[in-house]
Amino acid sequence: MAVMTHAEALVEAIRECMDEDPNVALVWGSLMGVGGNNEHVEHIKEDFADRIFHPPISEAAIAAIATGAAMDGVRTIFPMGTASFMFRAWDQIIHEAGEAHYMSNGAVSVPAVFHVVHGLRGGGSVQHSQSPQSMLWNAPGIEIAMPSCPADAKGLMRTAIKSNNPTVFIDYQKLNKRSGEVPDGTYDIPFGVADIKRQGADITIVAASLQVVHSLEAAEVLSGEGIEAEIVDLRSLVPLDEEAILSSVGKTGRLVVVDEAPPRCSVASEVIATVAEKGMDLLKVPPVRVNRLPVHVPANVALEDFIGPNTDRIVEAAKQLCS
Amino acid sequence: MDKLRLLDIFRQMMLIRRFEEAVYDFHEQKLFGGHYHLYIGQEATGAAVMASLRSEDRVFSTHRNHGHAIARGVDPKNALAEILNRVDGTNGGRGGTFHLASADAGMPHTSALVGGAVPLAAGAGFAAKLQKSGGIGVSMFGDGCFEEGVVFETLNLALLWKLPVIFVCENNTPGAILKSQGGNNTSNLPEGRVIQIPQALGMECHEVDGGDAVAVDELFADCATRVRATGHPVFIEALTERWPGNYFSFPSMVTGLTQVSMAWDGSAISGEHEDWFKTHGPVLRFARDLIVNGVGTFGDIVGIDVDVTETITSAKEFALSSPLPETDSVYSHLLAGES
Repeated sequence: MAVMTHAEALVEAIRECMDEDPNVALVWGSLMGVGGNNEHVEHIKEDFADRIFHPPISEAAIAAIATGAAMDGVRTIFPMGTASFMFRAWDQIIHEAGEAHYMSNGAVSVPAVFHVVHGLRGGGSVQHSQSPQSMLWNAPGIEIAMPSCPADAKGLMRTAIKSNNPTVFIDYQKLNKRSGEVPDGTYDIPFGVADIKRQGADITIVAASLQVVHSLEAAEVLSGEGIEAEIVDLRSLVPLDEEAILSSVGKTGRLVVVDEAPPRCSVASEVIATVAEKGMDLLKVPPVRVNRLPVHVPANVALEDFIGPNTDRIVEAAKQLCS
Repeated sequence: MDKLRLLDIFRQMMLIRRFEEAVYDFHEQKLFGGHYHLYIGQEATGAAVMASLRSEDRVFSTHRNHGHAIARGVDPKNALAEILNRVDGTNGGRGGTFHLASADAGMPHTSALVGGAVPLAAGAGFAAKLQKSGGIGVSMFGDGCFEEGVVFETLNLALLWKLPVIFVCENNTPGAILKSQGGNNTSNLPEGRVIQIPQALGMECHEVDGGDAVAVDELFADCATRVRATGHPVFIEALTERWPGNYFSFPSMVTGLTQVSMAWDGSAISGEHEDWFKTHGPVLRFARDLIVNGVGTFGDIVGIDVDVTETITSAKEFALSSPLPETDSVYSHLLAGES
């Protein structure tokens, strides 16, 4: 196992897929924030120059170009940068990419990857801090991946590139520099398979992306107080691993769902609705959502911390359910 | 030649420069988080444009908004407090560097999204037309905005609906290194010029040296008078030289704190950025012109710098002593009609 950062793992996946498949193209952009002196970045630059395209600030047109190319089998990876910017391409992603397969009665598919970094980033203020996962989840026909660690980032990115569906890869700037062990060689992590990041018998905490990191931190605090939390990392929202969620709730009887979108119609709402429909009898106490507060994101970093889901709020919610 | 007007434009430029140096200092001290953008190198355009505006006019700006806000009349102490996210900021500390705005100053909203402010200014023109206020909408934006489709749509609409708007594109890309060549700017037109896009639509278009305060002032004053009279939109491309401190992801004070004496004492100028000091830096350039043309003396220039430096010094103290917003304030003003 090699130790690498989240960003390096993503770039390794992109390099491998570009090596494997001449139909994979890349819109360069900021390339997920990976700096210089990276062997994979150098390799991609030198060996795939004819498949790299430098973008102007034109999210909508590029998203649709990636979609149109995908209909002829070109798998374009489009790192869009800050997730807030993808609203410019909402029409193209939701309508053109998301609907083509269905509306062609299965004749056309759209294997494109839209990579974004979401969430509170430390002074991003209101227009650079969006968490669009639940809005996207409301649009049929789009796969959504949300990795929490380098190993998952690599395996999920490989799956996103190979998938015949449009995939929105929702990442987090604060994860980019975090390091972790990554298995040697090539491997894919299928969508729809949640990962139990920590075993525990007392309470289930469901999360994705950076909130898995917060949940694991919370679990350590809780453990010190005699509460053992099980952390279910969704890894993908579409498809959703309902079985893993229900199985864990069946074991613990208590559920906290952590998500950075504001609470109404959020990922947390949907997970809890799913449990209510399919496993109401598994719950010993009513479940709790831990979300970003339902307000805009202020520029002030202290207020940003206040509105976001964080380790303390997860601990507090879990203790409340276990009391 | 209106000497007082020109000296006032210089005062605004000097104020912007000292303001931006203060912002840089605050960021170096880690007093505010996130990314930020300075207006150094473009002071002549912003100060000269705002000199012709009235209270009924509306200005919409971008992520590079500090100079526009100051020249529009926002008090530097409230602007600095905003950048530090304090309660006395123009936006109550919520917006920060990206979103400096002041409805009272005729600058209702600032968008940090590329091209975002351009249609908003057309909206102000639309309201002025309907309400017969005599005001105009002014959009201050960068050349990178032409990469976004919404800018084309807005130019087209402004013509179709005959909206009293002046689109001021501050092009700070000439001579810069393209992103595709390892640089850090935007503006990826294959060839040709951004001004050709509104020209193709049939819009009245002007090009001006954005580093020349007098040229911008004369052109803009004339355009503003005509737009008020005809209600038809006008496009201005102000070509500015990119400040060397803007070649990095974060601003870098590579040209040091401004020494106005460089305007008459060439011996103080040397080194890597000699060309910037001698030819391009708009503050020094205008100071030199004012002296050569007999508009102001060394004493006037130094006096203005002393004044604005004092203003900024006390603005810094004000901003630093202003409290951070209470956490409960995050809930307020989500919807109009609520507290």
